[in-house]
Amino acid sequence: MRVGSKAKWKIKTMEDNYLWDRSGEPDPEVQELEEILGPLRYQPRPLEIPDQISVGRRRSFFPAMAIAAVIALCTVLLGFWFSLNRRQAAPPFQAARDSQTNQNATAPLPQVTPDKPAQQAASVVGVKSPPIQTRHASTRNLLARNNSRGTQTRVRQRALTPEELAEKEQVLIALRLVSAKLNLAQRKAQGAPQLNMIRNQHKIG
Amino acid sequence: MLEAQATADMVLMNQPFSPPEATEQPIEVVLVKAVLDGERDRFARLYEMYAPMVHGILVARVPRGEVDDLVQDIFLLALKKLHTLRDAAAFGPWIAMIARNRAMDFYRSSRETVEVTEQMAIERPPNRTAKEILDLFCRLPEAYRETLALRFVEGMNGPEIAARTGLTPASVRVNLHRGMKLLREKIGAVARP
Repeated sequence: MRVGSKAKWKIKTMEDNYLWDRSGEPDPEVQELEEILGPLRYQPRPLEIPDQISVGRRRSFFPAMAIAAVIALCTVLLGFWFSLNRRQAAPPFQAARDSQTNQNATAPLPQVTPDKPAQQAASVVGVKSPPIQTRHASTRNLLARNNSRGTQTRVRQRALTPEELAEKEQVLIALRLVSAKLNLAQRKAQGAPQLNMIRNQHKIG
Repeated sequence: MLEAQATADMVLMNQPFSPPEATEQPIEVVLVKAVLDGERDRFARLYEMYAPMVHGILVARVPRGEVDDLVQDIFLLALKKLHTLRDAAAFGPWIAMIARNRAMDFYRSSRETVEVTEQMAIERPPNRTAKEILDLFCRLPEAYRETLALRFVEGMNGPEIAARTGLTPASVRVNLHRGMKLLREKIGAVARP
């Protein structure tokens, strides 16, 4: 039984070999099919290529990619440039403000010294004292600077008439008077030394 | 002067001999590249190499009278679309796929329009038995049908079929074996009505 099945398997393998690569024992059935179907084999015939048929060219994506890359680069550079411009436009304003505030901070505050009571009085009366003038001068400068930034604020000030200027001066004097009184009242309330108190007085001679 | 010449000769002699670079590229790759570079005549070589395979694929699918024209059409289409072939070494599987698709298109377009004419009735197949066997082929699954057609009609052996179609040798062997088994059964059934 085993021998029979082995022989069958061997025959089968040989048949398969012939079917596979024509080696081994020829299979009559396969041979018959080859004989019957052989005449239908391809008969060589020249390929007629019409002239209008052209070989398609391989599409190169390089130009498209290059254009896209250039556009992207330009966009990035423009964005960078705009952001830089914004940054550059903003700091001068801030710097100007900073410098002004620094100037104000560093500017010597008008000290009311006891040896200058006359000036104090004068300031109260309406005569401009130098320290107060400097303080106002700085504010005026600030105002002037703000006005010079007309492009940003666009506030137009019409020219004042002499009467209006006089009235303005009066208002300013009144304000200074009030401010001086308030200062005095504050000093009294805080128990600060009187304005006419003499400090660091040394005997001379 | 003589010394310098002798030294130069020695230097040249001492240089390792480098043989010309062997082209390990398959012939298909070389031909496809040449055709893409404008040498259209090289396509004729590809046609010679692969026309039998395309013919075998079509024989198992479309009426015999249409096969030759379809083979030409398929190669012309392949020439037009050659630039779309990514791997030139896969020209065989690529054109086999075109042939299969073209055969399907043929049936889609002609199923409703082909009419039986007297001329067709007069035309007799070259061999009635061959026609009968081809009809039996058409009842087999596609994979078996194509492999058997390439084996029996085009006379290719298994390794050749594998090399041309891009199938693995094992697949071709299985297709041949199972296809032959089914064909035997169908022939036996026809012989014993």
